Amino acid sequence: MKSGKIAIIGVGEVPTRTMPERSRWDIIYDTCMEAVRDSGLTKSDIGAVISTSPQAQPQLTAELAFGKLPEELGFENCRDTCVVNAGGAGTSNCLRLAEQYINSGVAEAVLVHHVTVHSTIAVPDLIAFFATAGVDLQWEYPFGSTYNIIMGLMANRYMHESGCTPLEMASVVTALRSWASRDPNSIFYGKAVPSPEKVLESAMLNTPLHKRESNILADGGCAMVVVSAERARKMGKPAAYKLGESVRYFSATPMMRNFEKMVYGLRDTAKEAIAEAGITKEDVNIWNVYLAYPLAHPIMAEALEIAPFGQGGKYFLDGRMSFGGDIPWSTIGEAPGRGHTGSGVSSAVYVETARQLMGRAGERQVPNCSYVYQNTSGGSGFNNIATIWGREPK
Amino acid sequence: MSTQESQANQFDMTRPLPVVQPWSEAFWEGAREGKLLLQHCKSCGAMIFYPRKFCPECWSAEIGWKEASGRATIYTFSTAYDMVEPRFWTDIPYTIAYVDLKEGPRMMTRIVECAPADIKIGMEVEVVFHKLDDKFFLPYFRPVAK
Ligand SMILES: [Zn+2]
Repeated sequence: MKSGKIAIIGVGEVPTRTMPERSRWDIIYDTCMEAVRDSGLTKSDIGAVISTSPQAQPQLTAELAFGKLPEELGFENCRDTCVVNAGGAGTSNCLRLAEQYINSGVAEAVLVHHVTVHSTIAVPDLIAFFATAGVDLQWEYPFGSTYNIIMGLMANRYMHESGCTPLEMASVVTALRSWASRDPNSIFYGKAVPSPEKVLESAMLNTPLHKRESNILADGGCAMVVVSAERARKMGKPAAYKLGESVRYFSATPMMRNFEKMVYGLRDTAKEAIAEAGITKEDVNIWNVYLAYPLAHPIMAEALEIAPFGQGGKYFLDGRMSFGGDIPWSTIGEAPGRGHTGSGVSSAVYVETARQLMGRAGERQVPNCSYVYQNTSGGSGFNNIATIWGREPK
Repeated sequence: MSTQESQANQFDMTRPLPVVQPWSEAFWEGAREGKLLLQHCKSCGAMIFYPRKFCPECWSAEIGWKEASGRATIYTFSTAYDMVEPRFWTDIPYTIAYVDLKEGPRMMTRIVECAPADIKIGMEVEVVFHKLDDKFFLPYFRPVAK
């Protein structure tokens, strides 16, 4: 695979919160304008806009898909716009399309953004959307399956095979919340970090998933400005350069997913992205893992060959992935710490990757951050897109 | 108005029915007769679940049906206590599982006739059909009597 040659040069974000008082367009204005200003460009420089599809918001999706954003914000030199939907893998595809626009000459600077406001969606509509997305309507849904149950099925099998304990599983929440508590844009910012024991005290939703091991639906939005690596280098500003990428498709229907094939896919995509970037695993300063549930993190830690098989949970329990640990990991706390904004978490993790590489991650800043591993995954885990980003071009 | 009534007014409390494709009709007809049917590719021999229009292995259209033994082992499971859709509330607690059929394919199902605490990965189970309405009988599984 040949990727790269683009860089993120500006970011904008609103804190992830429950904020029904803010309309979706209100958030779009603030995040997009902040990203453009942050990039050092002007609105006249924006040649294209790509939206990560806002899940469960059909009216907004239609407005964005039919071109409202460049008109609304006055991007007078915009040549094209569209919505990209691959669920939680959406933003990775926005960035790929931005790369194509830039390389083919459609645009020199592309704005990629996302917004989700869950709090004003009627509860029955929200339930109906999340109940039926990512499960098969003939072979799974009628049995009473849910996203939480799908994660429970995977976690139970993993714990059976690996010997990972409930306390080790719970410690992933502690690790993620330790980062989120230091991220002003995360819903758990400034909040006490629960101990693994405290996580296990919360109610059992479905085995082995406790309430504190699930996600809080929230509202949020962010935006990024993307240009060619060459242009970013000439601008001489701190930037995040895309250096490598690899991807695997697994399955849409959770019951059809071969767990072994999935683990190999997580492993191989990381190896291939790292190889393309021309670095080694040891060069990676942050593993910015995005899986949307804490229970999958020990599996990822083992697939990335950071922890030996059966030790993934122990690494979290030992605090190695927590703030201050020796393996910086999911530094906004991922969906469980950031708050779940649908596909928006997949945008937020890229913004964090860019912030860390620009040296602007505040208290969470990983010293001398040169390389970040960033993955995304869509639906209930239909694929994995692994990317490597660096603070210098290749 | 009771809480239950107000919830029933707000949420769709009807049990969802399988969304059927033309090529899976036979599966549900079989289920009505108490048979667990799997597709069988006459060209490459693949046992296919879930049913497809063409064989996913070789794209052959020569697909027939074979009755499965109805025996399986539990690959993994999760018992639900909370945060399921309102339409499933009355079933809580219930256990969702992936089971590996003797014939090879894996299915999602419910494990029934067994206390949640007694359900184990690797447990031998057998099919038992659960009536949703006159058309649909879902293949649930229960422990094989020792
Ligand atoms: Zn075949």
